[in-house]
Amino acid sequence: MDMSDDAADVQRVLAGDVDAYAALVDRYYDRCARFAIRMLGNRDDAEDALQATFLRAYKALNRYQERDRFSAWLYRILVNQCRSIAARRAHRERVFVREEALLLNAPDRTPNWTGEEEEFVQRVLSELDPLLREAFLLKYIEELSYEEMSALTGVGVSALKMRVKRACDRLRDRWERIKND
Amino acid sequence: MTDSELHPYVELIAREARRPVVTDPVARDRIMAAVRAASAPGHRFLFWRRAIEPRSFRLSPALGGLLAAGLVGIGVIAGGLSTNRDGRAMAGQSSVAAAGLPVSDTVVKFVFLAPQAATVSLVGDFNGWDASKVPMVRTPNSGLWTVTLPLTAGRHLYQFVVDGTWIPDPSAPIAGDDGFGHANSVKLVQKGSAL
Repeated sequence: MDMSDDAADVQRVLAGDVDAYAALVDRYYDRCARFAIRMLGNRDDAEDALQATFLRAYKALNRYQERDRFSAWLYRILVNQCRSIAARRAHRERVFVREEALLLNAPDRTPNWTGEEEEFVQRVLSELDPLLREAFLLKYIEELSYEEMSALTGVGVSALKMRVKRACDRLRDRWERIKND
Repeated sequence: MTDSELHPYVELIAREARRPVVTDPVARDRIMAAVRAASAPGHRFLFWRRAIEPRSFRLSPALGGLLAAGLVGIGVIAGGLSTNRDGRAMAGQSSVAAAGLPVSDTVVKFVFLAPQAATVSLVGDFNGWDASKVPMVRTPNSGLWTVTLPLTAGRHLYQFVVDGTWIPDPSAPIAGDDGFGHANSVKLVQKGSAL
């Protein structure tokens, strides 16, 4: 994405053209939705996070400074919104109800993407501690550098590396358990 | 760790999680509806709307005294009751008017030490976080920057903008991350307090 597109849209919004904000929403909605759904594990919470993120970003648009990438700024808001929603619902029961029919053959099969596979991935991710899940998603799903992750989360690079490593270790342990059962 | 070092199972999970998700097609419309119903960013346009709306307010005797002393230019908002005596007060007065600050009977003085700074301004929830609205004035030979504002009673969040960099007030409590990656300072204003 050309950063000047974002900057131009931001300027149009600040000049009073509310519809210009729709271009920013369209540009980043899908990517933000993927992170929110993977992070929160269900679409209702993810949609709440997305709505709050885009609304908060709009209201604070005059605080966005062009030397930052708009996407990074928006992502920082999204990560915080996801953290807030995850904390609020911490007492609630997990929403995943189906068993993982695909689990035993997971590394060898070529998935034919259906609702079951999506639920399977969500279930696996949901078993990670939220901080490990967040770091894993930012690294391997959003494919950010550790420096970008640090700027976005406020967490140091070494701590983030440790979280990603632990997330990978947890997933590997999970696979070993499945294999040995 | 690089992708090539990932355990096959971890790589599978990452690959599957990278797939696009199916989203509600009307979710973006709901977001834009909420955006259109919200006030404009930083209330830039709210100020003008408020400026032309008839409204009433009262000034306490305490503020009247301050006005008489030329410390606060709230008279500008009231319609030209300018009593300023020097250039510094005039700067404060224009800031108050431009910022669209709420009419209040409580004035608060903000002070920040920045001897090397070329410009310092005050941003907060009371001026739409707009760094151009409340410039602070350097006190000669001290490195202190000050501005005096009328604020409504209650809890206000603010920061200083020093040569373009947002900095919390080191002498005030911190409210924590506001969701935008900023740690704001907190000012509790009690009704009737001054400076």
